[in-house]
Amino acid sequence: MPQTTIYAAPRTREQTPPPAVATFELARLFGRSAALAGVSLQVQVGSTVALLGPNGAGKTTLLRILATSLRSSFGSAEVLGIDVNQRPDLVRGRVAYLSHANGLYEDLTAVENLRFAASMLGIEEPRRAAAAALGEIGLTADADRRVRGFSAGMRRRLALGRLMLGNPSVILLDEPHAALDSDGMALVDRLLIGWRDAGVTVLVASHQADRVTRLADGWARLDGGLLLETGGTGVSSIATQAIGLPAPVAGA
Amino acid sequence: MSSLRADAAVAWQIARKDALSELRGRQAAGSTLFFAGLVLLLFGFALGPDSRRLTEASPGLLWLAIVFGSLLTVGRLHQLEAEDGALEELARYPVERYAIYLGKALAGVAALLVLGGVLLPLVAILYGIDLGSAWPALLVTLVLGAIGLAAVGTFYAGVTVRMQSREVMLPLLMLPIVAPLLLAAVKATSAALLGDPLGDLAAWLQLLGAFDVVMLVAGAATYGYLLEE
Repeated sequence: MPQTTIYAAPRTREQTPPPAVATFELARLFGRSAALAGVSLQVQVGSTVALLGPNGAGKTTLLRILATSLRSSFGSAEVLGIDVNQRPDLVRGRVAYLSHANGLYEDLTAVENLRFAASMLGIEEPRRAAAAALGEIGLTADADRRVRGFSAGMRRRLALGRLMLGNPSVILLDEPHAALDSDGMALVDRLLIGWRDAGVTVLVASHQADRVTRLADGWARLDGGLLLETGGTGVSSIATQAIGLPAPVAGA
Repeated sequence: MSSLRADAAVAWQIARKDALSELRGRQAAGSTLFFAGLVLLLFGFALGPDSRRLTEASPGLLWLAIVFGSLLTVGRLHQLEAEDGALEELARYPVERYAIYLGKALAGVAALLVLGGVLLPLVAILYGIDLGSAWPALLVTLVLGAIGLAAVGTFYAGVTVRMQSREVMLPLLMLPIVAPLLLAAVKATSAALLGDPLGDLAAWLQLLGAFDVVMLVAGAATYGYLLEE
């Protein structure tokens, strides 16, 4: 089996206060191919970090593991000092995630979708929270329309509106600009600035590299499941030592 | 207690959301009713015009139609979640996994009660059965049967929802497990229609109730693992 040099983090987890996100030798295999092949990364609280890299770099896999949607095969990941594999229940209330899919219910209206999400998040007044979020994303006029009749851009806006419910400490965005027109992209920019000003930690994976790096404090570049480099502030790779894992397969 | 109340509220919200989607997707709900009605009609043709034979077979035909209809119903309730990555979103909410299971199962029970509520009078009309004073016992049988089918169906719909061949796998996995429920429900319905001549109605209802409890507990305890990837 081909081997590649993967780097593992030394045991420096006992930090005070913990970083917003810390991964140690994080790897995820799908069959025999590694979508992530040992990423050791640290993101400081309140930082906005752009995840850059081509398709198959491992950005989505990294975000899904941090969002508790996917378990890692090796290594570990912590959000605010909580291990996502050991205590996903504690992580879920602190993290909001916008995935490739919008996760909407076609036969519910826009406001019903947000009200449902708000009630799942334990918000005391889901109706008010949903109305406020709809106003933020510019869909108030379409509040009572079923999502089935929405365009791709309107669906993306509605999915973005779900992130405004609750009070997440960490927000994970996977291609937030997808399907959006220029107004929609400006909305994402406004949200990113708002979250940064509010001290929320944001990890954003996007092919709009120029756009997101302009708004981000720092960036991390991945390729082939490996962390290649980091730049700016708020994000760093962790000093590592070599271990061996199956070689990552491009496009995984 | 407050945690239990919060979990109950989560289950209720999920069931309400599913019921709303089901009501609005009338085509899907209507086609299930049509399919189950068609099953009853075709069984009638297959057994011939002998009215006594049809009457004797009616409890079995009724429950077979409900079981076939339940395959479509529970499968569709999970398909709602798979349409746009909603299941992954649902799994990410900070709620107890068993509350998600109970919410989906509750929506299944409601849909199956509607199905049974339509099919029962239809059986009476098609096969010339006088439901008379059997209504209360039939209603209890229907409720217990619907709970058991929803409990099993919700779990296996969760198992198969990410499979490409889910339409084939769901019946293959679910039907063998509901065989005891089918037997007990048919016997209880038959006893109710005949006025409980052998005095065994209560025993069959107890069996149905025990099946429901075992399946609900097993489903609630294990459903969370199905949401992980």
